[in-house]
Amino acid sequence: MKTKFLVLILGALALSLFLSGCATGLTPSSWPGIAVDAETAYAASAAHVYAVSLENGSELWRFPEKADAKKSFFAAPVLTPDGQLIVGGYDHILYSLNPQNGQVNWEFAAGRDRWIGSVLVANDLIYAPNADYTLYALNLKGELQWKFQARQSLWSAPVTDGQRIYLGSLDHKVYALDARSGKSVWEKSLTGAVLSSPLLGSKGQLYVTTFGGDLFSLETTKGTELWKFATPSFIWGQPALNAWKLYFGDADGNFYALDASYGAKNWSVQPNGPILGTPLVVGDLILFGTESGELVAVNTQGKNVWTQTVGGKLYGPPIAGGNLILVAPVENQALLSAFDLTGTQKWAFTPAKK
Amino acid sequence: MWDTLIVTPLTNVLLWIYQIFGGNFGLAIILFTLLIRLVTHPLTAQQIKSSQAMQEMQKSKKWLDIQKKYKDDKEKLAQEQMKLYKELGVNPLGSCLPTVIQIPIIFGLYQSIMLALASSPLQLLTLTRSVYAIFDTPALLPLNSRFLWMNLSQPERIMLPFLGDFGLPLLAIIVALTTYIQSKLTMPPPANPGDQSAMMGRMMGVYMPFLLGYFALTFASGLSIYFIASNVAGIVQYALMGKADWRSLLPAAMKGAAKKK
Repeated sequence: MKTKFLVLILGALALSLFLSGCATGLTPSSWPGIAVDAETAYAASAAHVYAVSLENGSELWRFPEKADAKKSFFAAPVLTPDGQLIVGGYDHILYSLNPQNGQVNWEFAAGRDRWIGSVLVANDLIYAPNADYTLYALNLKGELQWKFQARQSLWSAPVTDGQRIYLGSLDHKVYALDARSGKSVWEKSLTGAVLSSPLLGSKGQLYVTTFGGDLFSLETTKGTELWKFATPSFIWGQPALNAWKLYFGDADGNFYALDASYGAKNWSVQPNGPILGTPLVVGDLILFGTESGELVAVNTQGKNVWTQTVGGKLYGPPIAGGNLILVAPVENQALLSAFDLTGTQKWAFTPAKK
Repeated sequence: MWDTLIVTPLTNVLLWIYQIFGGNFGLAIILFTLLIRLVTHPLTAQQIKSSQAMQEMQKSKKWLDIQKKYKDDKEKLAQEQMKLYKELGVNPLGSCLPTVIQIPIIFGLYQSIMLALASSPLQLLTLTRSVYAIFDTPALLPLNSRFLWMNLSQPERIMLPFLGDFGLPLLAIIVALTTYIQSKLTMPPPANPGDQSAMMGRMMGVYMPFLLGYFALTFASGLSIYFIASNVAGIVQYALMGKADWRSLLPAAMKGAAKKK
């Protein structure tokens, strides 16, 4: 009997430690989100939001100053025209920070789940998607104006043409809402969850990627399908559009260039490892990261220009900041690495332990 | 190895049940728990049998004589006890071994539930790679994590107007209550109420409901659904085997009155 109870107590303690470990997130649950202004990069990564100097990669401030087990951040922060830095946390709170020093301006705590996607700031409103299936529209003081309910979690920022906002959801749908009132204008069912933001073309098309492995082109008035391009795997990231070409990668590691008008494939390459992040187009270079930790630069014909091994896994998009390209791998010592357009590393930022 | 042998198969069984029963993940957890209970029934039955054999042995004259005779010589007492175990064919670990075997199942089950819920991008990526090819993954994922009033990937609270900002943790209360009832019904009365093992038994009866209640309060409510389903299934299992001692739920004074009648 005594042995049995000892085993039970030890088992209960082990269970307690095990479950605690799972809940406090010993491993990251997403990849870092990055935003930049003229001089600073802002990286939301696990316990903190960091402000890092673009010049030399030094830390300017971090929020919160001391890690709090209940707080973690992965959604890319967004700067507002009136000088706020909006970032959502996994603690269900949307924060407005002062980008100069990381002090909190206001908090919006009505979200009932994690803030996984970034916000869209337009029309003097903050459109904030939450994993509780709700898109919250706030004014710039953080006061709720209206909300819209989808049928599944919202993990990506909406986009806007000024009149409407277009929102992808994990419920396999894309929604068009009136930008002022949040009233639904149309909704369109697609072949899988929409994990990243739709992309607006200049002639009223909407490009949407799905977990079902398709890239859809929809017209924006009614959501009618114009064309569809199918890949053999799933697509996570938003496509990039440049000179009527669409660039995107899939989870099988294929990287595609399509004609944006008809969806015809121009070329595809398969560098090394799944491609989840949105590509970045800088001049004639198209840059993207791979799960194998490589930052790849190809030209508009798909020819490899350079490949730089960053380390870790590159799930997020490369971001342009000044003359630099920033990437934030997961499972890597450095949180942020900066490269120039020739692929030479300029600096790497590893947060100091405090 | 752990993921391949335990977590991934359990997750796929969970997904299979989810798919069959109309995309209701709460129901899938309940049915999955019942399935696990059914599969581990032989272990539970053996545990009860061993526990009873042990209890009967501890009430026997031989056992009590040994206790008295060697009360001042612990080593000799242990030797004689082992002899008696052998003589009566009782395995001293027989009642705890099934519990030990079930601990990895609980670990695996929790990991499976959390993996299947995939409430963050990296979890969804991991889940995608864990799903067997028989499933239409894009159509199946992500799972619907809503069940009744709960989001199964979040700790549960009920917000009532008269409670203001305080959320009532109803599931945590039910978890603690069902754990208490199960332990009271299934724990046999000790042969020697004053000894150390009886004391530990009483402690466990109090400690476990609080511990599991705390888990339910803190962790994803999908886990609470598992605890409640498992407790209720355990109670029914014991009752069907005729082993549940319903009188043990009554306070001592009422128990006495019940006996007199």
